[in-house]
Amino acid sequence: MEKEELAPHVSEISRVLRGKVEESEIWKELDTYLNHYRVSLETAKRGIVKKFGGDPSELMRGIRKPIQQLGLNEQSVDILAKVITVNEKDIEVDGKQKSILYGIIGDDSGTIPYTAWEADRYPLRRGEVVLIRNAYTKEWGGQPQVNLGTRASVEQQPEESVKLPEGMPRAFPDAGEVKMSELQENMGGVTVTARILSLEKREVDVSGEKRIVHSGILADETGKVQFSAWYDFELKPNDLITIRGAYVRGWRGIPQLNFGERSQVTRTNIRFPSGADLAKPKTRSIGDLEKVGGGIDVLVRGTVVEVRKGSGLVFRCPECNRVVQKSSCRVHGSVQAQPDLRIKAVVDDGIATMTGVINRKLTESIMRMSLEESMRLAKEAMDPNVILEKIDERLFAQPIELEGNVTSDEYGLMMIVSSARVSVPEVRDEAGSLLNRLEESE
Amino acid sequence: MMKREVAWRVFAAEYNSSSLEIKGEEERAPSYIITPLGAMINRLFVIGVMTDVENVGTTEEPMWRGRISDPTGTFYVSAGQYQPEAALAMSKIKPPAFIAVVGKSRTYSPEEGTIYVSIRPERIAAVDERMRDHWVLETCKLTLERISALEDALEMEVPSAEEMVKLGHGKSLAEGVVKSLQHYQGLELDRYRTMVVDALRYLIPEYRTEAEVPQSVAEVPEEIEDEEKEDIDKEEKVLGIIDKLDKKGKGAPWDEIVEETGKSGIDKSELEELTNSLLDKGLIYEPVLGKMKRI
Repeated sequence: MEKEELAPHVSEISRVLRGKVEESEIWKELDTYLNHYRVSLETAKRGIVKKFGGDPSELMRGIRKPIQQLGLNEQSVDILAKVITVNEKDIEVDGKQKSILYGIIGDDSGTIPYTAWEADRYPLRRGEVVLIRNAYTKEWGGQPQVNLGTRASVEQQPEESVKLPEGMPRAFPDAGEVKMSELQENMGGVTVTARILSLEKREVDVSGEKRIVHSGILADETGKVQFSAWYDFELKPNDLITIRGAYVRGWRGIPQLNFGERSQVTRTNIRFPSGADLAKPKTRSIGDLEKVGGGIDVLVRGTVVEVRKGSGLVFRCPECNRVVQKSSCRVHGSVQAQPDLRIKAVVDDGIATMTGVINRKLTESIMRMSLEESMRLAKEAMDPNVILEKIDERLFAQPIELEGNVTSDEYGLMMIVSSARVSVPEVRDEAGSLLNRLEESE
Repeated sequence: MMKREVAWRVFAAEYNSSSLEIKGEEERAPSYIITPLGAMINRLFVIGVMTDVENVGTTEEPMWRGRISDPTGTFYVSAGQYQPEAALAMSKIKPPAFIAVVGKSRTYSPEEGTIYVSIRPERIAAVDERMRDHWVLETCKLTLERISALEDALEMEVPSAEEMVKLGHGKSLAEGVVKSLQHYQGLELDRYRTMVVDALRYLIPEYRTEAEVPQSVAEVPEEIEDEEKEDIDKEEKVLGIIDKLDKKGKGAPWDEIVEETGKSGIDKSELEELTNSLLDKGLIYEPVLGKMKRI
């Protein structure tokens, strides 16, 4: 099996084990079970989960979602739906004829196209209600499509368990006119007005086919977004454009705007901030970022409520840059580990929380201490943890301003910090004006 | 999902008025304290003045207790052997000192319907006055946000978390506000608004001098002395009762103390004050929840 095919299973095992075991460890285990003991994938997964004290019964349970909430890239999802149409089609795969089913399923939240890759395996009949387990989704034309692959199963359900509303809504209602900061993964029918801050032309490989994509950064007064135009709209840097019929995909939670042949792009001439104004990072609350999943080049304010373990003086494998313990890399064995400084700070504004990862250069400037100096201190104390302690003393409970790109996964938001400022803002003026406002409203 | 719990900012007066706890039913499911203003607290962040700190345990099994004051009241903080880093940090604090704490919400319920809240610190450290002032301002702003969320909910016929989120409130606040309205009767939003106004004045020097010298100060001391003496007599009485009820040497059950002292005309709220004072003086401690023992 290819690495790409195994990756979703590794993350599934990791999910069931609640992240207790590092993914690299799971990879290793999976490799042993599959290649050394040559057991089936399902057996291997159960075995690994059991070995680390997890509950294997959680493995099969995909997350059940209503159709409207299906994302563009679900790995394993359960769907309870009514089969609206079923069509059979013969296709050729690797020179062999094969029968597949395709059509539309629906529930009370919407409808969605599906493809079942082996016609005889799935009892799909028009009008029946089925529970589809372990399906996955792929994006097509900016919308998700349900796929039933080899892992999927179909169970019949009582007909009354799904009621389709009259006049079925579309799976994704059009988002309409939105600002950059409101874009969210899986939105379709998006209309935005923004300025092109940067632009490049690239050739990419889309399922074996070479395509030209024009990508870059768009911005309005609320923030910046990466975009990909799959059709040549003759875009130029600094153009102010309105795009209709765009859709949003996510990369590690960061919303990215896509538009193509079926979208419309018009140049407009309204009053709009200049490129220079738009280039500055925009302030966003952590809660806002959490709602949309992430963002690029944002400014976040909060307080450091924890300096996480693994901050301070660390040693990295020269081959793969992984942090190593005792000069021994998990992958490359005994190595000449390279010292590095970093900070992983939990930043919290009382409403939401985010981890900021701060690199060596910024750590040195925040701590006013070079890597060499921290090596010397660690050697003196014979304990690299003294650096972690120093960072904790400096940052704990400190108000902080961070700039960078924010991604998200199931553990929450994470910012790769590009700029940091540690300072306590003056409170008196703000307290005064807040007080005036309260007293006036009384 | 293992998302980290947010560190709420609440004033002591709001936190200590909480009487609703939602316990996580499944294993490892988090518990929350719901404050009257709908904060749903599993973790909180506080900066205030630590006014006293002491070890009420033993050297081997320390239990450090401390009080942290903010402009509205007092937070109770305790760290024992299972929080070794926090306990060590507390042992080094010389009150009074500006202190920041990140910790988990804890409750103690001596009987049904009564809940005392405290903080179990994860991290505790000395900070400076400017950081404290910044915390006060932030907490004012976030308290006002909770007040306005409650006002929104009160306008709904049937308050629902979903509708609250649609109005732009955060998910856990939306949930907390709905739970608060189901539990707390007669919420006095004005009281909390006044609390915020007072806290803001606290940050502005023009107001501060006024507040520092109450005019009636000169007349009070004698009364206080009298009261103190009376209190000490009563404390002696409570100590005697705790001794008497502690038959197995494992501490006197709280219920029995309440009953026994009640016979001497000490009501429950007074008894709580007295035992708090005794705990502070290090004359008694709680070997287990719900029991008091002479040291």
